[in-house]
Amino acid sequence: MSGPGVGWYLIVAAALFGIGSLGVMLRRSPLVVLLSLEIMLNGANLALIAFARQHGSLDGQIFALAVMAVAAAEVAIGLGLIVAMARRDMPLDVDQASALRG
Amino acid sequence: MIVGAWICLLAPLGGALAITLLGPWISRRVAGYISTLTTFLAFAGALVAFFGLWSRDADDREHLSTAYTWLAAGDFQVGFEILVDPLSAVMMLVVSGVGGLIVWYSMGYMAGDEEERRFFAYMSLFVFSMLLLVQAGNFLLLLVGWGLVGLASYLLIGFWHRRPEAVAAAKKAFIVNAVGDATFALAIVLLIWSTGTLELLGVFAEVDGLSNTTVNLIALGLLGGAVAKSAQIPLHTWLPDAMEGPTPVSALIHAATMVTAGVYLLVRAHPIFEAAPDIQSLAAILGAVTLLVAGLVALVQWDIKRVIAYSTMSQIGYMFLGAGIGAYGFAIFHLMTHAFFKALLFLAAGVVIHHLNDEQDIRRMGGLKTALPRTHVAFFIGTVALVGLPPFAGFWSKDAIIASALARGDALGWTLFVACLLGVLLTGAYSFRLYFAVFQGKPQEAAAQQAHAHERRGEGPLSMLVPVGVLAVLAAIGGLLSIPGVWHPFTHWVEETGEPLVEATARQDYLVSAISVALGIVGLLLARRAFLRDRQLVTAPTAWRIFEHKFYFDELYDALFHRRAAGLSHALRRRVEEPVIERSLNEIGSGTILASDGLARAQSGLLRTYALAIAVSVSVLIVVFVAVR
Repeated sequence: MSGPGVGWYLIVAAALFGIGSLGVMLRRSPLVVLLSLEIMLNGANLALIAFARQHGSLDGQIFALAVMAVAAAEVAIGLGLIVAMARRDMPLDVDQASALRG
Repeated sequence: MIVGAWICLLAPLGGALAITLLGPWISRRVAGYISTLTTFLAFAGALVAFFGLWSRDADDREHLSTAYTWLAAGDFQVGFEILVDPLSAVMMLVVSGVGGLIVWYSMGYMAGDEEERRFFAYMSLFVFSMLLLVQAGNFLLLLVGWGLVGLASYLLIGFWHRRPEAVAAAKKAFIVNAVGDATFALAIVLLIWSTGTLELLGVFAEVDGLSNTTVNLIALGLLGGAVAKSAQIPLHTWLPDAMEGPTPVSALIHAATMVTAGVYLLVRAHPIFEAAPDIQSLAAILGAVTLLVAGLVALVQWDIKRVIAYSTMSQIGYMFLGAGIGAYGFAIFHLMTHAFFKALLFLAAGVVIHHLNDEQDIRRMGGLKTALPRTHVAFFIGTVALVGLPPFAGFWSKDAIIASALARGDALGWTLFVACLLGVLLTGAYSFRLYFAVFQGKPQEAAAQQAHAHERRGEGPLSMLVPVGVLAVLAAIGGLLSIPGVWHPFTHWVEETGEPLVEATARQDYLVSAISVALGIVGLLLARRAFLRDRQLVTAPTAWRIFEHKFYFDELYDALFHRRAAGLSHALRRRVEEPVIERSLNEIGSGTILASDGLARAQSGLLRTYALAIAVSVSVLIVVFVAVR
């Protein structure tokens, strides 16, 4: 097996996950939050694929494919929600959508 | 013969079940007929059993019939079995015969009551329980009958459940009887432990091998049950209150049958008591004390039924005394004649109460001789039979017991003898006080009010008058079954079950009869003199107060048990219930509210906060996992 070792891949994956989670926690626009979620998922995917290659089994890659399918579905729903919010002239700010406060 | 006994046992149960299950599909009258007919069917069965037994040889008169094995635990087995022997045959006849007459009577007495069906179902249940009690072939079945009788008594005393006094009286009867049931049950446990069997005949065969202490404890337990059921001192307080029930109930349960169960037990279990002579003497002493106390209290009561109730206690005292000194035949003989004349007195009193629209106070009665001529005759017969004037029933049976006390001879025998004679004097006085107050003299207002109503309806329906008439005949001639020095068919019959320990000579019998008749007549004259001078029998105010408070037994038990228990539970409520349990519940509630207030604040609705919380928690978990590994 050639190319960089699995450690490098994990570092990139962790960096992607960290960037994504910071985006989820800090940004207020739902669109950006959704984007950041995708980045987190892809960080995780990268780690899965890296391990799959290291172990020489396909399990991790298949898992990554499944995550992508779920991510696509999630994006469809998330975008649908955002479009629905925009149609009702609601502010596109996750902090103001807090009707579920206890 | 055995078939007859089973029919006798099961017919009333069938009646009770039929009335209960058919419920509102049958009319109230039909319920009365079912109850009456099944009880008389039981009487027919008892007759068959009796004559079947009669035709056998004297040594072939104990028959045990087992329907099936009821309980089995290793070697220990209890069957559903009945014992047919001379004693149980007599008891079957008395219970079903007198019971049938009284159930018949209650068809007239209870007519128009709202819950007649329930009443007759209870009556049938009671007759069944009592028959089970007297036929039981082992102690456990005897205890079952014993408890069922107590239950039926509770249900019937509290039959008019809208009257608070009736409900209180029912509870009192049940609780006092429960004390006796408990000692009885303890005796049974001791019997299982020491003999390994509960069959009557099996137990009696093994009694001799038991240690003194065991036998004494068993006998004491049985005596406790007998004392409670038969309303003897010190567990007698429930009987006078039980008069809150309908009058036929008083006649059936609290005069003729149930209260004599204790006497039956003493005679039935005589081998145990003979092995514990101290306890047997205790039974006789309790009987003597009861007959005196009850006689004294009866002198000052105003309620017609209560006077008769106290006289019942007093007469059962005689039976206890007889069974206690070993005159078993005479105890059962007095039980039978007492069933006749006491049922007669109660039923005649019921006619009076019915006539006066439920008036029971003898101060508001009087002069009923003209309004109720036939009842007057019946009541008079009952009264003289109770006092024991010849040739009526009580004369033969009571004097035989007194003569047996005399024949015993020792100090105890003489004491009991004197107590008996004093009892005869008291009996004469209180019985005739009641008789004079109710039937003689000028009609009182309550009676006068009823005079015109009486024109319309006579003394009562036939179903009430016929049983009274039959009982009057029985009370008049029932005593002729045993005449001292002439013939003793009845007592010899019963004594096949229990050999007597004492036997009075004919001379002692005649001497006692002379004295007791004289004393009875003195009692009569005292009552008559007091009545004619319009005075009371007891004139000393202190004595009057003591008698009126029934020797303060109720007050004593109130102070000893009720107030202690009430004080304890009150203290527990103030010290434990309120501060610990109630307050802790409150604090659990308020604590939960506080905690949920705090938690609710955590749900801010801010998506980013949630994400932060998740991220932080996952990081913490990762750190923990890594550290632990």
